[in-house]
Amino acid sequence: MNTHKNKTTKVTEKAKDSNVMDDTRDTELMVETQIANNIIDLLNHRAQDLTSAEVQRLSAARSLAVTQLTNLQTQAASHHGVNQSGHVLQWFGHHVGQHKIMSSALLVAAMLLAFFVVQQFSFKHNLENSDAFLLASDLPPEAYADKGFNAWLDSN
Amino acid sequence: MATPKELSDFLIAVERRAFKQTAYAVRDDHAALDIVQDAMMKLAEKYGNNPVTEFPMLFQRILQNTMRDYWRRQKVRNLWTTLLSSFGGSSDGGEERDPLDTIDVEDDSDEPSAQLARSQTIGLIERALEKLPARQREAFVLRYWEEMDVAETASIMGCSDGSVKTHCSRAVRALAAELKKQGLDKLGLSGDMVTNKGSKS
Repeated sequence: MNTHKNKTTKVTEKAKDSNVMDDTRDTELMVETQIANNIIDLLNHRAQDLTSAEVQRLSAARSLAVTQLTNLQTQAASHHGVNQSGHVLQWFGHHVGQHKIMSSALLVAAMLLAFFVVQQFSFKHNLENSDAFLLASDLPPEAYADKGFNAWLDSN
Repeated sequence: MATPKELSDFLIAVERRAFKQTAYAVRDDHAALDIVQDAMMKLAEKYGNNPVTEFPMLFQRILQNTMRDYWRRQKVRNLWTTLLSSFGGSSDGGEERDPLDTIDVEDDSDEPSAQLARSQTIGLIERALEKLPARQREAFVLRYWEEMDVAETASIMGCSDGSVKTHCSRAVRALAAELKKQGLDKLGLSGDMVTNKGSKS
């Protein structure tokens, strides 16, 4: 019974100790933060108190960096512009440029359609030519369909 | 993507702090200005297309790396200088201490004497900051001056969160001890805290 009591007392004491340690640590952290904040306040005050030469130099450095970024972005934009203006789709306006896949498909379809139409016309034209040739030649058109006539031509 | 205006605004907000932080680290105002300019240019060149919200972390990382490059170059240069300059004109090692510097801070007074006292206090703090080990100073500056959280500071310093906490704690203790030594007791210093654990790098 006594040993159990002793154990319980020890555990309670340990818990108390750890609580005390936690509290101490928290207090230390608060003090640290307080000191750090006070120091930073003074450092911030000093940072606003630069000489005019230092301020000018920082301003010049900043301007250089900003100019650098502006140049880079301008270059990138012009490069992008060249790419885009080189793209056939840009000829059809901004909307086309934004929906590239759809517009590309439309363009290909239009080209194919044009190709077939041209083919169609040229095929008809050829037919007409060959008809005219057959009708205007000395031989009757049936002669070209006669296999015997071809054999006779070869043998002579 | 950040616009030039956003970059400019960001740099205006951080340039003075960045300069002072660098000056404390390298102890040379001209070199500090060069380093800050390099960092600004690198930020614009390499990360100008990043969102402006990423700038604080990126800029600090670039600044710290540029400082490290400077130290590396200085190390090599110092080695040669040491070899070539034989024994003449060795430096004192420490800063000159003026007993007048040990004046307590007056909080809210605009009188010339108070301004002088504050200026001297800041001078002391600056010297104490310069004396800190590089990692402690870096942690202190990022954590408290740049108000970054532990994880961000750890990411920039390339170490664990625990290391950041330790560096910060040691830095504050070291600063507090140094300032207390100079007779400054009005910075929220706790005598126990300063004397019990002291500072070790």
